[in-house]
Formats: sequence, structure tokens, C-alpha cells
Amino acid sequence: MKDAKKLVVALLVLVAAAAITACGSSDSSTTDTSGEENVPVSGQFAPVADAPAGDSKVDGEAELTRADGGTTVSLSVTGLEPKTEYVAHLHTGGCDQADPGGPHFQFKKGGSEEPPNEIHLEFSSNAAGEGEAEASSKREVPIGEAGSVVIHSAEGESHHEAATEGSGEAETVMASLFVHEGVDHSKEGPGHGAQPEHAHSEKIACAELEGAAAGEGEATAGAGEDVPTIVVRDGEPVGGIQTLEFSAGEEIRFRVSSDAAEEIHVHGYDIAKDVPAGGTIEFDFPAELEGIYEAELEGLGVQIAELRINP
Amino acid sequence: MNFLPLAHALASRQDLPVPAWLFAWGASIVLVVSFFALAAGWRTPRFEQLHERSLGAGVSRVLLGPPTQVLCGAVGVFLLGFAVYAGLEGTEAPDRNFALTFLFVTCWLGFPFFSAIFGDLFRPFNPWRAIGRAAGAGFRLIAGQRAAHVAYPEKLGRWPAAIGLLAVVWLEVVYGKGGTGFNPETVATATLVYSGYTLVMMAVFGAEEWCERGEVFSVYFGMFGRLGIFGTRDGQLERRRPFAAATTWATIPGSAAVVIASISTTSFDGGQEGAFKDGIETVYGWFLDWGASPTLSLRLSGTIFMLLCFAGVGLIYLLGVRGMRTVPGAPSLATLRVGFAHTLIPIALAYLVAHYFSFFVFQEQAQFGFLLSDPLGTGTTDLFGTVNWEVDYKVLSANAIWYVQVAALIAGHVIGLMLAHDRALVYWPDYRNATASQYWMLAVMVAFTCFGLYLLSVANG
Repeated sequence: MKDAKKLVVALLVLVAAAAITACGSSDSSTTDTSGEENVPVSGQFAPVADAPAGDSKVDGEAELTRADGGTTVSLSVTGLEPKTEYVAHLHTGGCDQADPGGPHFQFKKGGSEEPPNEIHLEFSSNAAGEGEAEASSKREVPIGEAGSVVIHSAEGESHHEAATEGSGEAETVMASLFVHEGVDHSKEGPGHGAQPEHAHSEKIACAELEGAAAGEGEATAGAGEDVPTIVVRDGEPVGGIQTLEFSAGEEIRFRVSSDAAEEIHVHGYDIAKDVPAGGTIEFDFPAELEGIYEAELEGLGVQIAELRINP
Repeated sequence: MNFLPLAHALASRQDLPVPAWLFAWGASIVLVVSFFALAAGWRTPRFEQLHERSLGAGVSRVLLGPPTQVLCGAVGVFLLGFAVYAGLEGTEAPDRNFALTFLFVTCWLGFPFFSAIFGDLFRPFNPWRAIGRAAGAGFRLIAGQRAAHVAYPEKLGRWPAAIGLLAVVWLEVVYGKGGTGFNPETVATATLVYSGYTLVMMAVFGAEEWCERGEVFSVYFGMFGRLGIFGTRDGQLERRRPFAAATTWATIPGSAAVVIASISTTSFDGGQEGAFKDGIETVYGWFLDWGASPTLSLRLSGTIFMLLCFAGVGLIYLLGVRGMRTVPGAPSLATLRVGFAHTLIPIALAYLVAHYFSFFVFQEQAQFGFLLSDPLGTGTTDLFGTVNWEVDYKVLSANAIWYVQVAALIAGHVIGLMLAHDRALVYWPDYRNATASQYWMLAVMVAFTCFGLYLLSVANG
């Protein structure tokens, strides 16, 4: 009888231990990424959806390496227009968004739209349509925020506009901070400090680095100005049902872009908005109900996101 | 993985998983309570007798008299008929049709919750029993003799109810998953089919006999009713000791299967988007690879996991029973298996409260709000002026829900332990042997309660 008692006691302790460790381990799994610091992240370039016809064969690779507290981004591409100027930026989002890459990556969010606050790479293609570039920064891009590298045509970026806006000093800053390969410096007149919406139509190719991780929610949702965007394509959320976490009392903000016209319905809160084909709508309402609520494409009855509102 | 999107027919909201700190507290309290139970058991059974007190002949005459019986039965038949009518004729939108909320929330959850407090509330309103008894009375009137019934096979016991219980939950959470099968029309049709089956069985075996053993809802709701404080005996309404009536519930074969089916189906539903999600998706992927359609794959994988839950819960109980056999002076395995089945009823209730309490509170606002005034969801009727009463999700905070969930599991655990301890004192006159046998039931209960806590803490992935 004594043995049976000991057995049960041991069993109870085991169950308790298992229960508590099971709980603890699920917490720690998300933060343990420190070991990956020096591992380069890379992605393949692919033309964006509305790339100009001449750039539809763009191929190549982008790579980002974090080392000694700094960051180096390099790219190597083929299939470009011969002898043409290009510029590439590090973006926070993934390539699957309606606006590929989303906003530019910035060390200080909402700060300067020029290096060193952003990472830009300028280069020209050779006669065979090949190009390479590398840029380094003395600061480390936080893990999960290096979403993608997006190549723009430099021609599309208005030199005149930039000049009149007086962003000329950027030239010297860039020259001192960045190593450019195959770039004709004399022609440099970066205009990418201009409005981001300009950049949209000029995008040529996108290489995803950590875009998927950033798109998962927390990195994008928690990052100050960045509003998470759910991309709907062919009646389904790109990357699966997105989880967006909020705390009760704060603002729930997210965007939905869709390739087809749909009504987006947030259950529980019972808020519905129409998104036009190829358009983007933004939701912005206070998180006053706690729990898990679905957002779905009302017409198709397909869930695209779950909103978790924690107390 | 491109998993089928889950359209929840009724619930547009889910509970947040219980946070880690509360899980740890809950598990700790369960263990402390359990050790305490080992140390401080009483030595004579306390719940094995009902200790009933009559509420008085007058009360019994009014509440149990033929007029009340006929009235309650008529209400039951009317509501069932109305739910079927709404299901067939009303809107196809599940959340706007009276039928689904009434059958699967108000009745399916309401009867267990309230019967567990007040005693079996379903019996007087049971529409099939009412029809069966009316038919029997008609037969007597015309033929001048009682209808002859086939003797119910004793060994079959409550197995038809256990299997029926699995089938009902299967219809709701497996077949209806993905939003394809769980629409008002399907449910109304299923209700009609079930009604036909039930009435045939009543005609064959007799209404009361079938309600006691085979009729899913009578058996299932009646099981929880055994925990409640009111009951009837010899036509008298009585107050009895809480939980005491449960001690005589499991004497019919197959009763253990009913309570195990209850625990396992709730576990399955609670875990299918949390603890079992990865497993279900894996099996779902296998079926897809074998060429099954997504809907079929989803249903097959869900069915497999529901049956695995049933087998798993059953196995844990049988292991506990098997362990008790090793204690000197133990009765036969069959006796023990039947003898401790009722101790799982509080656990089954705790699971039900933990998983569906908030859903019930929210959805009943719809039931007594817009669904009452516009039962068909046409948008044109407003019978009671409540058509604009929507669900207010602010009535329960996430914290309140968590505390209720964890408190329910702990309370179920404690009541289960008390009933088991009591039953052990009946089988083992020697107090020390009785206590020894309870190490095993304690392990079973701790397993179920911690599993319940675990399901809550990983809910919804």
C-alpha cells in the first residue's frame, strides 16, 4: 500500500511538472532567435506583378548579413534593361503584399527617408543587363524587420522633383556610408526621398528576406506607424489566416488589400467595409471587446484574419 | 498549410486561451486539493443516500399533476415543431435562424447547466416522451388495453444513447465544420429523422423505457440532472442532497460510455483548433493526398480524432478501474467499472462549463433578443419588440471567463473526488483499503482535470 501511495505522489508531481514546463516552453519559443545573428538571410528576385514589360525576366539574389552590430545588404541581378540606372531599397514587408515590400525600412521610424536612416542601393546595369550592388550600415537591422529588397527604376524617380525639394545633401551622406559598385556617381541625384506612393508604380522586382516573418503580425503590428496589411488574392489570405494581436483599449488598425471587390466583415465588432478590386481599405476602431474575433470575406465566407484582443 | 477556413456557424467570437500563470495556479490548486483529499477523507459514505425531504403534497399535486404534465409536454412539442419549421422555412444564415441557437445552445447547453442545479428539467418538456405517452394513452382509449412492448435487451443498456451522443456532437462539430453542413435546413431535417427514429423505438420498447436507456437527450440531460437538488419519487416532488442521485445513475449497462462520450466530445471540440490542430491537419493532409475532397478529408480527420478522444478518455478511466482491482478485497472489474462511472459526471459538467459557458451567455442574448422576435430571420417581423437586441460581448470580460473556466474544472474535480471516495467506502469496509483504491481514481481525476486545463490554455493555437 505504501508503494502505491508513493507511486501516485510521484505521478502527481510528474503531471504538475509536465504541465508547468509545457506552459513555460510555449512562451520562450518565440523569442529565441538570438543565435541567428550572423547568418545571412537571402531571397530570390522576381518581377513584381505590375513590372514594366522590359523587366519581366529579372532574376537574381539579395542577401542581408548582420555582423558586429552592423548590416550589409548586397544584390546581384540579371535580366535588367542594359545600361540603365536602378535603385533598390530595403523594405519592411514581404513581396506578397499588394504594394510589394510595403514601406521602406527605417532605423528610426518616421525619421529621415534617406540613408543612413534607410538602406538604399544604387547601381547601373551593364550591357548584358546585369547589375550588382552592396551597401553597409553601422547599425543592425532588427531581426524580422528586413522584409524584402525591392528594385526600382531610377529613371522613374524624378530628379527634378528631388532637386527642388532640396535633398541634395543626401549625395554626400551616401557616398561616405555606402559602397556602390558599378554606379556612375556623377549622375547620382537620389529622389527616393519623395513620396512613397511614387515608388509604387516604378517597382520592378522584389526579393523576400524576412517578409513572411514580418507579415505574421507582431513585428508589423507592434511597430509604431506600421499598419499590418492582409493581402487577399484569389479569394484567400496570402500566407494563410493572419493573427493580429491587440490589447483592450488600444486602437485596432489594419489594412486589407484585395485583387477582387469584396466586403470585409469583422465579427463580434460587426464592422463591415467594402474593398474595391485591386484596392486597399483600412480599419481603425477601438479594441473594446476582449476575445478572439474573426475577420472574413463576407461574400465568400472565407476567414482572412483573427483578431486577438487581450485584456 | 492551406487549411480549410473554418466558418463557425454560430460563434463569431472565441475565448482567449487561459494564460500561463492562471494555468499554473489552476494545476497547483488541483494538486493541493488532491493531496488534501488523500489525507482527510471521511469514513462513512455521505452521498450514497438521498436524504430527501418532500416538498409537500400540494406542491407535488400542482407541479406533477396531469394538467401540468400535459401543458409542459405541449410546450415541448410546440417548441420542437417550431424549431423544425424555422429551420426549413427560415433564413439559411445560421446565426439568424432560431433553429440552430435554440437546439444547439439553449437546449443542448441550457438543459445540462440548469439540470445540474435543479434536477432533470428535460423530462417534463421532452417532446418525444410527450408524444409517446399521448400515443399510449390514445391506444388504451381505443383498444381498451395497454400497448404491448418488446422487452428491452438488458445488455444493450445505454449504448444507443452513448452512440447517439457521439452522433449529435459529430453532426455539430465535425459534419458542420467548414460551414458546409451545419445550416438550419440540415439540422431541421436531422431533427425530423431523429424524431421518427425515436418514436419508432418508443413504440417498440415503450416511451419510458426508451427514455431511460436509448433516447440520447433524455439520457444525457438526465445524467446531469442527477447532480441537481430536486427529484421525484412515487409522484412526490422532493428536495435531495446535491450530487446524491448520481450514485444510482450508472447501474444500467453502457452508462460509463455515455459519460465518457460526453467528456471526449467536449475535449475534441475544445482541442480541435488548439491541442489537436496539428494532428488533425496532418491526417487531413493524408486524406487530401489520397485524393479525397477537402470537405471529405476534413470530416474524416475530425471523425478519427473524435473517436481517438473517446478511446483515450475511456482508456484512462479503465486504467484507473484496473488499478483499483489490485487493492485487497476489491469487487469484480465489471462492478468497479459500473460503480465509479458516476464519479465522472461532475468532470463532464466541468468540461461543458469550461468550454461553452461564455458561448452560452453570449448566444442566449441572441436567443432572447433578435431570434425571439424574428425567428425566421426575415428581417420583417418583430414579434416581441426585441429585434434590435444584439449580442453584447462586453457582459463578460476575458478575465471573468478565465476564472469561471478554471473554477469549474477545480469544482468538478473536487466533486468527482468526493463521489469516488464515497463509493470506495461502500466497496471496501476497511477504511485503509478504501483510501488505497482512491489513489487510482485520484490519478484519473488529476489526469482529466489537468488535461482540461491544458485544452483551455492552448485553445485556438
